[in-house]
Amino acid sequence: MENGIDVERVAGGIDVLTLRGEHDLSTATDVSRRIESALESATGLAIDLSETTFIDSAVLRVLITAQERAAERGAGFAIAVADSSGHGVHRLLTLTGLDAKLATRSSREDAIAAAAPA
Amino acid sequence: MVTVSERVEIEIAAAAPGVPLVRHALRGLLSGLDVSDEVIADIALAVTEACTNAVVHAYPNGAAGTITITASHVGGGLSVTVRDRGRGMSARVDTPGLGVGLPVIAAIAQSVEIGSPDGGGTEMRMRFALDGPAG
Repeated sequence: MENGIDVERVAGGIDVLTLRGEHDLSTATDVSRRIESALESATGLAIDLSETTFIDSAVLRVLITAQERAAERGAGFAIAVADSSGHGVHRLLTLTGLDAKLATRSSREDAIAAAAPA
Repeated sequence: MVTVSERVEIEIAAAAPGVPLVRHALRGLLSGLDVSDEVIADIALAVTEACTNAVVHAYPNGAAGTITITASHVGGGLSVTVRDRGRGMSARVDTPGLGVGLPVIAAIAQSVEIGSPDGGGTEMRMRFALDGPAG
């Protein structure tokens, strides 16, 4: 799978950031930049990891910061971690215990619904 | 059961673009062996964290340097060494990460040793089981 970062605005002004393939220190800055840009105008942010095959702690830090930034701005936030997400994605979240801290949902659709501001 | 010994050595510039290259090379080595996809993914995660640690901490302020990764398949395990020639071990308050890299490595590897080799820098030596669930 080719690596990529896509951002799409869906109904309700929610931005969906999709990470495809592998992401680590080499792409973490780009992921962070795209998230910051989305949060400037979106009502909510859903990050879709259902097509993500690998992330490391550099990307995990970006995701945690994104959740904090969204909360500061009153925007909704959720991350889709699906069965189709790579083993490394599930493993890193479990090993760090951050699966309990991040607002995760089991599908892209559920994450978008959860990212709607309260 | 695979009994042959294999060894690969990779040297990368101490910069972010080198990190995925190491991961891909390791997968290439392991894909020819009787190792589950889950174990390969675990080792890829641990070695990525080790390389990221070296890139971020060994050469501060964008200083140039290299990182050498050696992977040896012997018997039922894989030994991986990540060695830099940077500023060596010290208390660090400038980490841009979560501080979870080393705990993740420790959870996956059978053993982890960190030392200061002759010639300077830092060397992390990890040993992984290949014949079952990691950790």
